[in-house]
Amino acid sequence: MSYQNGMAAPRAIEDDSDVEEEALVADYREQVQYEGGMEELDQATLAQQADEIQSRLVQAAQPLDFQATLETKFQSYDNYCALFHYILNSDGPVDLEPPSYYWAWDVIDEFIYQFNTFSSYRARIARQANNEEEAQILRDNPNTWGCYSVLNVLYSLIQKSQILEQLTAMRRNEDPMAVAGPYGAKNLYRMLGYFSIIGLLRVHCLLGDFSLALKTLDDIELNKKAMFARVMAAHFTTYYYVGFSYMMMRRYADAIRMFSHILVYVSRTKNFQKNTQYDSISKKNDQMLALIAICVAFHPTRLDDTIHTALREKYGDQLLKLQRGGPESLPIFEELFRHACPKFISPVPPDFDRPEANIDPIDHHLSVFMEEVKTNMWSPTLKSYLRLYTTMDLKKLAGFLDVKPEELRSWLLVNKQRTKQLRWTDNGLLEGELVNISDLDYALQGDIIHISEAKMGRKLVDWYLRNLSRTYA
Amino acid sequence: MNGEDPQERPEQIRNIINGLERYNPQAADVLEAYLQQQCEEKFCDCNANRALLKLYQLNPDRIKDEVITNILVKAMTQFPSPQFDLSLHLLSPSQSNPGPNSTSDLTEAVSKLRVLNAQLEGAQYARFWVTLDSDDIYADLTTDIAGFEEMIRLRIAHLVSQAYREVQTSVLEGWLGLDSEDEVKKFVIETCGWRVGEDGLVQIPKNPDNEAKKAEIREDVSVDMFGRVIKRAWEDSA
Repeated sequence: MSYQNGMAAPRAIEDDSDVEEEALVADYREQVQYEGGMEELDQATLAQQADEIQSRLVQAAQPLDFQATLETKFQSYDNYCALFHYILNSDGPVDLEPPSYYWAWDVIDEFIYQFNTFSSYRARIARQANNEEEAQILRDNPNTWGCYSVLNVLYSLIQKSQILEQLTAMRRNEDPMAVAGPYGAKNLYRMLGYFSIIGLLRVHCLLGDFSLALKTLDDIELNKKAMFARVMAAHFTTYYYVGFSYMMMRRYADAIRMFSHILVYVSRTKNFQKNTQYDSISKKNDQMLALIAICVAFHPTRLDDTIHTALREKYGDQLLKLQRGGPESLPIFEELFRHACPKFISPVPPDFDRPEANIDPIDHHLSVFMEEVKTNMWSPTLKSYLRLYTTMDLKKLAGFLDVKPEELRSWLLVNKQRTKQLRWTDNGLLEGELVNISDLDYALQGDIIHISEAKMGRKLVDWYLRNLSRTYA
Repeated sequence: MNGEDPQERPEQIRNIINGLERYNPQAADVLEAYLQQQCEEKFCDCNANRALLKLYQLNPDRIKDEVITNILVKAMTQFPSPQFDLSLHLLSPSQSNPGPNSTSDLTEAVSKLRVLNAQLEGAQYARFWVTLDSDDIYADLTTDIAGFEEMIRLRIAHLVSQAYREVQTSVLEGWLGLDSEDEVKKFVIETCGWRVGEDGLVQIPKNPDNEAKKAEIREDVSVDMFGRVIKRAWEDSA
C-alpha cells in the first residue's frame, strides 16, 4: 500500500498529536544518546582548539560561577558585548559554525540568566545598604547589564537573522532561505535569532509585561515541530513563561494547558534524561505544579492523570486549602506564587541613597496578583452551596453563609463574571474566544436564584483510549 | 467594545507599538497625545497605553504622574478584566506600593485607584460610588476622562443584565450610584431600553447569559481518536 511509505509520514505527524509526541520522544532519546558521544568528542577537540574565537563561542555558553565576584560579572558583560558586537557588526556575516546544536540556546539562556541575577543582586545591595564599596561601583556603572542593551542584543539578533520573515515563510510552506538574507542563511545567525525570540519572551515576563511576552511568540507555532522543541531546556522554558504569562492575564485554562503539556512531556522523557540536566528541570517541574495548583483553584478542571497524581503527592494539602477558598487560602496562594514565580526584576538601577524605597519587584507583582485572589476567594464556598439547589432565595442563602444580602449579591456577580474566559483556539497566543468555562450557571430573578448545572456525561472513550495507550507503552 | 485593540487606533500608533519604535523615548509624546485623545473621545486602547507605561518603566525621567493615573483610570473602565492589573505590573514597585517613609503624590493616587478598582472587580458597585464621593482626590483623578461616571454606569448595567432577569429598583439605585428610584427608572428605560413592572421590579430582556439553561456536556467521539489504536493494530499484525 502506497500510504505506508515515507511520503505519508509528515502528514500523519501533523494530524495526530500522539504520534507526533511519540516521534519527538524518540527523537529526544536519540539526541541524548548522541550527545553523550559528542561530549567526549568536544573535549578531545577542545584541547587542540587553537582558534580563539571558537573558544570564545564556547565560553559564552558556560554558566558563570555562582560565587562570581562583581568584577567577574562586569567582565562577563564586557565579553558578551564584544562577542555580540563581533557577530552583529563585522563586515558582513561572520563565517562561524555554532559549536553544537544547543550552543545558541545556551548562549542566550546564559546571557539572560546573568542579566537576571545581576539585576537582582544590584537591587539587593541597594536594599540592604551594608556594602558601600560594591554599591559605589554599581552606582558608577549604571549601564552595565542595562536593560536597553540586553533588549538591543536580542532585537538585533532577531532582525539580522530575518528569523521572523523565515518563520512566516515556513508557516506558508515556502522556502525560508528565500527570505533569509546573507545573515539568516547561516546557521549561527538563524539559531541565535530564533532563540532570541524565546529570550525576549522571558525578559518581558521578568519585567512584568505579560501581554508583550506572549505577543513576542506570534511567529512561533507552539507545537512539537517547533525548533525549540529539539532543545529540551528551551522547550521547557518556553512553556513555563507562556503558561505564567497566561496565568497573570487570568487565562487559567490556557495556562493549565501549557503547564500540562510540558509536564506530561517531561514525565515521558525523564527516564533517559541525564542527571545534571534533570536536576534543574526537576526544580522547574515543581514550580509548574505549584502554578497548576493556583490555576486549578481559580478554574477547577479535570487534569491529566499523571499530573493529578503528581500534584496530589507534592502539593496535596495546599491544593485542598486553595480549593476551599476563604481567607485561610490566601497565605497558601502567596507561598506557592513566591515559590514558583520568575525572579522578577526592575529595568532601572535602584535608588542607592534611599534603601527603603527599593521594594522587591516580586512583592509588587505578588500584591497585584493577590488582589484578584481576594476578589475570588469566596467563589468555592458559593459554588458548593449553589450545587445543592435548583432555586434558592438569596436572603436565605445569605443567612446560611452568614453574610449580608448585599455581600452575597457581589459574590454572585463576581463568580458569574469570572466564568467567562478567553481561550486560545488558533493564531497568536493572545487571541482567543470568550467561552463559558463553568459547569454551573445561574440567573437571578429579584431575590430568587435559578441554578442550572451542566451534567457531565462520562468520558468513556477518552478513558478507554488513555488506558489502552498506557498498556501499550 | 474592544479596550485592548480598538478600531480607532490610527496607523501611526499601530506602527509604534508593533515595531521597535516602541522603545524610542520620543515616541512617548505621540502616545501621550493619543491617550489624551482616548480620554476625550471615550474609547480605550490599553495596549497602546501599556507601551507608554513601558517607556516610562525604561525611562523614569520622562514620567508624568497625571499620564499614569489617566492610564489607570482608563484601564479601570474596562472592568471586569485584567487591564488595570496589567498596567499596574508595569509601574515601578515603589510607585504602586506606599513605602513606610515615602509617600509621593503618585503613590497615594495609585493606591487610591487600586481601592476603587478592587471594588469594581469585586462587584461592590454601591461601595464604589460611596468611595468615589468620599474624597476630593477622586474627582481630580477622573476629571480628564470624559464621561467617566457614565461609562462606569453603563458597564454596571450591562453586567447586571448578564446575571439578572428582574432586579429591584432599590438595589439598582445603589449599584448605579443614582439618587432616587425615579432616576433609576428613567435610566433603565431611556438608556438601557428595559421595562419597569407594576411591582417596581426592573425587567431585563432575555439574553444568552441570564437564561441559565440546562445543558448536558457529552463526549464527542470521532474516528480520528482511534487512529493511533488502529495504527498499532495494523503494525502489530503486519
